[in-house]
Amino acid sequence: MKLDLLKENVEKEIKEATTAEELEKIRIKYLGRKGELTKILHSIGDLPKGERPAIGKAANRLNAKLSGLIFGKKRSFEESKTLQWKDLSLPGRKPYIGTLHPLSILYQETIDIFIEMGFSIVLGPQIETEYYNFTALNTPADHPARDLQDTFYLKDGRLLRTQTSPVQIRTLEKHTPPIRVISPGRCYRVDTFDPLHSPAFMQIEGLWVDRNVSMADLFGTLKIFARKIFGEDRKIEFLPSYFPFTEPSADLWIQCSLCGGKGCSVCKNKGRIETLGCGMVHPNILKNMGYPEFTGFAFGIGLERIAMIKYNINDMRLFYQNDLQFLSQFNESKL
Amino acid sequence: MKVNYNWLSEWVDIDLEPHDLADILDHLGIEVEELDLTGSDAIFTLEITPNRPDLLSIQGLSREIAAKTDKRLKKVIDYPLTVEKKQNKEFELTVKIESKEDCARYVASIIDEIEICPSPPIISGRLEKCGIRSRNNVIDITNYVQIEIGHPLHAFDYDRIGNEIIVRRAKNGETIITLEGEEKALTNSDLVIADNRKPIAIAGIMGGEASGICESTRTIVLESAFFNPTLIRKTSKRLKLSTESSYRFERKADIGILKNDSAYAIYLLKKYANGRLVSPIIDTNPDPELHREVLFSYEKANKLLGKNVKKEEVDQIFSKLALQKRGNDNHPKILIPSFRRDIEIEEDLTEEIGRFIGYDNIQTKFGYKNESPIFLEGKELLAIKKIMPSLGFSEAINIPFIEPSWAEIQGKNPVELKNPLWSDKSILRTTLLPGLLLSLKRNLNRGKERVDIFEIGRVFTLDSEEEEMIAAVVAGEIPASWYKERHPVDFYDLKGVVETLLEKLNIQQYKFSECKDNLYKKERTLSLVINNEPIGCFGLLSQDICKVDTFGFEFNLYKLLSGLEEKIRYSGIYRYPPIKRDLSIVIDERKPYVNLENIIKEAINNDVQIELIDVYRDATIGKDKKSITVRLELYHPEKTLTDEEVENDIKNVIKKLSELGAHLRK
Repeated sequence: MKLDLLKENVEKEIKEATTAEELEKIRIKYLGRKGELTKILHSIGDLPKGERPAIGKAANRLNAKLSGLIFGKKRSFEESKTLQWKDLSLPGRKPYIGTLHPLSILYQETIDIFIEMGFSIVLGPQIETEYYNFTALNTPADHPARDLQDTFYLKDGRLLRTQTSPVQIRTLEKHTPPIRVISPGRCYRVDTFDPLHSPAFMQIEGLWVDRNVSMADLFGTLKIFARKIFGEDRKIEFLPSYFPFTEPSADLWIQCSLCGGKGCSVCKNKGRIETLGCGMVHPNILKNMGYPEFTGFAFGIGLERIAMIKYNINDMRLFYQNDLQFLSQFNESKL
Repeated sequence: MKVNYNWLSEWVDIDLEPHDLADILDHLGIEVEELDLTGSDAIFTLEITPNRPDLLSIQGLSREIAAKTDKRLKKVIDYPLTVEKKQNKEFELTVKIESKEDCARYVASIIDEIEICPSPPIISGRLEKCGIRSRNNVIDITNYVQIEIGHPLHAFDYDRIGNEIIVRRAKNGETIITLEGEEKALTNSDLVIADNRKPIAIAGIMGGEASGICESTRTIVLESAFFNPTLIRKTSKRLKLSTESSYRFERKADIGILKNDSAYAIYLLKKYANGRLVSPIIDTNPDPELHREVLFSYEKANKLLGKNVKKEEVDQIFSKLALQKRGNDNHPKILIPSFRRDIEIEEDLTEEIGRFIGYDNIQTKFGYKNESPIFLEGKELLAIKKIMPSLGFSEAINIPFIEPSWAEIQGKNPVELKNPLWSDKSILRTTLLPGLLLSLKRNLNRGKERVDIFEIGRVFTLDSEEEEMIAAVVAGEIPASWYKERHPVDFYDLKGVVETLLEKLNIQQYKFSECKDNLYKKERTLSLVINNEPIGCFGLLSQDICKVDTFGFEFNLYKLLSGLEEKIRYSGIYRYPPIKRDLSIVIDERKPYVNLENIIKEAINNDVQIELIDVYRDATIGKDKKSITVRLELYHPEKTLTDEEVENDIKNVIKKLSELGAHLRK
């Protein structure tokens, strides 16, 4: 049919046109007062009555389409001519936004890992009693293990928790095993404020009590955590340790990232860095809580320490100085 | 504790480089804090956990190394005791123990013909490597034996004490001048060694000056004893007097070693100080209970480890550690030697198996049962935490100790620390603002032109214990850049943040009212009211910490979230474009804008959105007047409004304005 052929020709010509002038010529040739398509439109009246509506509709549609094409292409030529030159290398107008604290970011990353493994989250008070912080955790008064944790006492005799472990006791009081919880929060110890110590710090406690929980489960769980936080390629080791509330006890060590395990001044030539403490819940605790037939594991993650190892930060005080220069170097892309 | 390689090698053949030995020790749970290879002998600084006092010695460490590396101990402490009676002199000494609870065993011996002089290099050199200053041969020998064997010894000058030694509680009011020349007041809870007149030593902690070894000492009484660990610890804590000796006693000494320990010291005293044992050894408990029995189950141990360790392997580990098996394999009892005070229950034995097979040989697993968490406390904190950076705020975390003056300003009952780290910051924070202000100041001092920071954390008071709060502070100038001018941060910047925060949290029911909090300047502050309860204020802070106008807010977080609408109420969208009208209204300076907005809303019959465009003052408007320009957008859900309908609404507005004494600007 004639219209199809016409369409093909015009579209080809439009495509090949390189200037606005050429396009104008095409417009006049086909859509102008004496243009080819205009002629067809004018001659519809001569067609047999039955064909008129269909052909008329098709011709009108083609007319609209072609004029649109020509107009659009013409404008693109004109625009490129009239847009002023601008220095696109000028910095963009940035929305003013802040950032989360690196410990917050790591906190969230960490608890997300454990939530995925089915751990619930419980919170506990930071002001604690001797009972929850020590006695119930197999650390009676005058036990030398108390030397491990120098304690802030309050004038009313209570204390600031030195670890998140009191939540173990509070959880076992409220819930019957099986229990799988983590308990994040702040803890306090009388330590000088120096590159390696802070009187207040963030800890994430983990507790899993069930029938037949073993060290293999403990190590497996923490390996998943350590791999997700530090990456798959860093070697993880468990070495024996001591905590009054776990038996057996262990420390997780991670390969030093600075020397890659060869040994350097940062890792004291060990090639590995002490990362967190863990162990099997001491049977005395389970017995006292009324669950002698259960076993369980517990671990305590010091967030500052993890952050220092993960990001190679050499001074713990930076976390509490809140220098925007420091804070702005971390981002929440993983949350 | 510091030990040197050569001394260890005297006890056990070590065919390992110091570095590899350090690694073995680490894997036994004996952490090597530092390895000093600068001298001719390698020196290990070890961190010994409080449960293992036996490792505070060359002997104890050698036992572990030998067990781990399949070696035998080369040295055995077993020296014969020969009394060398003297013709012309009788030596008398009696030992009286007031309570066996306090002192389960006391071994004393008298050594005469002592010649005090400097130690030979073999003694002084080794002590030096272990971080102990050399004094004279006698004192050095007691220290030397303590390091090598692990049990503290004490030497008295026989001629400076009476011929009676009494181990008793101090009487209230009694005092003693210690070897360090300090006078200590004693109480009935302190254990002392006394002669028949007065205390001559604080038991297990430090000797007295008056009974100590001096240049002229010729005869000594050598003490080797076992004191109640709790007593020693209490006194040591109370007197703030911690010594190598008290450190070992409070962790439980080895009651079995006392006599051998003395014999070894006597041998060394003869060799290096010409000492002669001149009386039979006095021993108040020559046959102490040496072994403890612990029930053991191979099966339970394996279950706890999560690994199948063969019986034979377990037996081997136990025998290397001098743990003897009794009874049949189904219900074995393990005999624990007196130097392993830490092993009390079968899980302690399980740990020994774990230590010796190596934790890295336990195949890890994770019993991931695909269970979902049951509860997620504190989850809501994250939601609000994530909004703040989008409002321009960076998160700060501060150490929650503050100066008591803050609580005074607030009129709150603070929680006071008994032993604050910083004496001026002696209370737990009652508000997050002091920490934030200090952080803000630090940033301004470091050249930041504008600082916006927030913190989420707990505050503490005696009345309401621990409350989770959110606070933010902002100060400085929004700096100029190539596309905008600088302007100082003001109240409305902060108000906008609060309003947006409420919007983002989907909190719709709230009110602002007057602020009554002294931490703020009332003229530039509002309080936020949710559920008819003021939950905190926002505005200009009253404490001039940063020498620049600082704006801030602090809200009780859970009370804030109590206003949160869980349900999102979707109300459709307007399909027809709004009609826009700008009105400039002249009104008294002191009339609040919000009244104007309410009047307009009341007057208009259609849906309307009102936006404040401008607030303007000049002489043509009049004194104490302001011109407020608002843009109205009028909507109808089902049609485009006609001019006539809009004009009717505007007429209504004008009529209502006159009630406020306001009128359109001409």
